[in-house]
Amino acid sequence: MNLEDDMDVRYINPFLIATQHVFRTMLGLEPVMAKPMLKQERIASGEVTGVMGLSGDKRGAVAVSFTKKGALFLYNTLMGDSANDIGPEVIDAIGELTNIISGQARKELERQGLNLKAAIPLVVTGKELETSFITKLPIISLPFYFSVGNGEREVMYVDFSFE
Amino acid sequence: MRVLLVDDFATMRKIIKNVLKQINIESVVEAENGRQALSILKAEKIDLIISDWIMPEMTGIEFLKACKADETVKHIPFIMVTAEAQKDSVVEAIKCGVDNYIVKPFTPEKLKDAIEKAQAKVRR
Repeated sequence: MNLEDDMDVRYINPFLIATQHVFRTMLGLEPVMAKPMLKQERIASGEVTGVMGLSGDKRGAVAVSFTKKGALFLYNTLMGDSANDIGPEVIDAIGELTNIISGQARKELERQGLNLKAAIPLVVTGKELETSFITKLPIISLPFYFSVGNGEREVMYVDFSFE
Repeated sequence: MRVLLVDDFATMRKIIKNVLKQINIESVVEAENGRQALSILKAEKIDLIISDWIMPEMTGIEFLKACKADETVKHIPFIMVTAEAQKDSVVEAIKCGVDNYIVKPFTPEKLKDAIEKAQAKVRR
């Protein structure tokens, strides 16, 4: 299956621009996007996942999903903290990052004539959680890699689908 | 300068406080929603309001309207901070009398510029 058959690839760029802009401005990081994937399962890609429902010209959802290590690194970078577990403050920060990435992506999508409104972000934690709120399959999954120091990288995913 | 910072997310308040610190603004009073912020405005001298848009109890827009309808408060520069970058959101905030509008994420320089523009607008 290829991406062009299932969804206009024009929708990928807004999420790429938004993610890179948010990481650069808020975290001083340069995430690199790997090859987009199509997901046929409604399963969260990572372990800490921010989700926002979208409505307007289209109905859909965006999920921003991190590994536990990645989420902690981002939280600690953002807040100058040294948290080592996923507590309420880390969840708050991931919700806010999801909200901001979604807002920037919707701004880019508006330039392409697609007006979307977002709901309040929800953050879920755990591996292989079902994301039943994403109604349309396949889901486009954009993997981003970012440096966490000591030559190591972590992955995060920006997953979205519109009906 | 004493800033009233209104956001329901403690994490976001901390982030914005860090950004304000980088532009040498350290006197910050925090509120979790518009209702709490209105009580603070009655009790304290505030020079600038920075408010989130989407909040429980009283949204940023409702809070903005309440501020601009109050003779004792309407002269205080009001900056709306939001993730909503779409045109209709900007138009709505402007119609309600916002003095400036800043979209997350932002750099310290961008926030400084937004504060200066908001201050200039209320002086006019």
